Amino acid sequence: MNRKKLLAFLVLMLAALALSACTGQLLTNNWPGLAADAELAYLSSGSFVYAVDVTTGDEVWKYPTEANAAYVFYATPVLTEDGQLLVGSAGTTHALLSLNPATGKENWSEPFLEAKGLWVAAPLVWNETIYAPNTDGFLYILNLNGKQTADPIELGGSLWATPATDGELLYVTSLDHHLHIINPASAQAGEPVDLGGASPGSPVVGEGGVYVGSFASNIEFISTTGGMEILATASNWIWGTPVLDGDSLYYADLSGNIYSLNLASGQQNWNELKPDGPIVASPLVAGDQIYVGAEDGVFIALDRDGKIVWEKELGGKIYTTPVLSGELILVAPYQAEFTLAAYDAEGKQVWTFTPEE
Amino acid sequence: MWETLIIQPMVNLLLWIYDALGHGPQMFGLAIILFTIVIKLITWPLNASQVKGAQAMQELQNDKEWQDIQKKYAKDREKLAQEQMRIYKDRGINPFASCLPTLVQFPIIIGLYQAIIRAMAATPLDMLNLARTIYPFQNVENIIPLNSAFLWMNLGRPEGIPLPFDVAFLPNGFPLLAIVVALTTYIQTKLTMPATPPNPTDQAASQTAAMTSSMAVYMPLMLGWFALTFASGISVYFITSNLLGIVQYAATGRANWNNLIPGRKKSTPAKK
Repeated sequence: MNRKKLLAFLVLMLAALALSACTGQLLTNNWPGLAADAELAYLSSGSFVYAVDVTTGDEVWKYPTEANAAYVFYATPVLTEDGQLLVGSAGTTHALLSLNPATGKENWSEPFLEAKGLWVAAPLVWNETIYAPNTDGFLYILNLNGKQTADPIELGGSLWATPATDGELLYVTSLDHHLHIINPASAQAGEPVDLGGASPGSPVVGEGGVYVGSFASNIEFISTTGGMEILATASNWIWGTPVLDGDSLYYADLSGNIYSLNLASGQQNWNELKPDGPIVASPLVAGDQIYVGAEDGVFIALDRDGKIVWEKELGGKIYTTPVLSGELILVAPYQAEFTLAAYDAEGKQVWTFTPEE
Repeated sequence: MWETLIIQPMVNLLLWIYDALGHGPQMFGLAIILFTIVIKLITWPLNASQVKGAQAMQELQNDKEWQDIQKKYAKDREKLAQEQMRIYKDRGINPFASCLPTLVQFPIIIGLYQAIIRAMAATPLDMLNLARTIYPFQNVENIIPLNSAFLWMNLGRPEGIPLPFDVAFLPNGFPLLAIVVALTTYIQTKLTMPATPPNPTDQAASQTAAMTSSMAVYMPLMLGWFALTFASGISVYFITSNLLGIVQYAATGRANWNNLIPGRKKSTPAKK
């Protein structure tokens, strides 16, 4: 190869690198998913799922032991009543896995590999059945051994949120702007309810229906029969799942506003609360406090009147919904110095966890 | 700056076209095609300048005075360079006219590529980045996420026509679009190659010809590989862009169609 040919080759390779480096096409990057029980926190982050001791912040196990293109994790893991940890992968095989929460070993003889899209949402486990929404627009129905027990239900759009149930019906939001109400007995979906915008958050079950936020910037109440009422309008897209606590519905928007809607009066509990940065994660209500993480890496605790009790600068960006484990609040910042941190109710950092390279 | 000047306007233009088309199935593919046409029209003067510059350089290779100085100063590179510069100056030829527009277009191509990927937002993080990119005056909540169905493809995923049997190295099926991308890239590159081989004594021209020749091999392979691996929306852009490039070059009357047939004797295309 003479010099000019070599130069041409190098220029093309540089072009290839430039194009591929900025595409994000490999679908591997996203903020982590987080779940916890009283002893362990389960963090799905990049190539691995980690189990972290909530007392010490030490790693207990990770799955798989070596990074593998087949597995990319950011869907929130789910603990089942029969002692499984379910987690979906956005890697090349689109696998839905069952792990032993204590050891990180695989439970099923083989992962569920029938889905065509990525696993972004955590599945719902109810009545010994796994309802697993996938970005291919199908809701997969499996038994607790990972075998399909019914044909998947085609809902359309991309499904990014965990379904909710009121004990009779299933409610599934979709990026196709609809809420789908499904009768699990017949595995039939009724007429979808138009939300006016994509809904990446889950519905939250209330009395006689569900509350849903969407990119239409509305909080809507959908009755079990599909009737829809707009309860409140935010100033930007609502991403996270609203949280219902008594008569109050807590939610946030991408402009960084935190809302507390009194469902009895239809009025906001506070006038304006906009600490800093867009908010993607759902709030966590624990005890007398509401915990919210924002994109600018600030983690705050509010009281019920919307007064900031404490505020911590974690660094990175907080997109993952914080979870409660015993007395500790766990928060998983993205692209920060650490991957997971535990705080007590007074805002004291108890430990941080950073995976070993 | 890159984000503000290149990505943001491109993404918003793409979304505006998609919305204007009615934002249903098939419309995102059409929006990419229209978007590519708009970008090609904007960069048309640059392309025309590139074609003109390349033509002037090609014509120079057959010029008697040019050939004479190649022979006369074959062993004196410094003098040869001086004489070449004199001829460029006398005839008003800019030797960089054919490559500067390419350099200017390169950021546009990368920006376009990024804009398409950004608009398709396949993951939550991508969607969040898209939300940040949208101008406040754009009312897009009714069109987000974009409907990525186009013909038999999902524009957010690599293309492939399902095969009745499994082929290990073709996990997505038969890669029709990747083949079309490689083919149109090959045609475009070949058409722009010089009609006549350079004078063997003209070392610079010979090296340029060798470089162009190697581009005709690497470029289709590289873009074909992109099409095979990346979201098929990018392939739609590549094909549209290639076809428009072929049309633009053919419109100059300089397209060398004989180059497309391997082994066929090269001839000078008719001048208009």
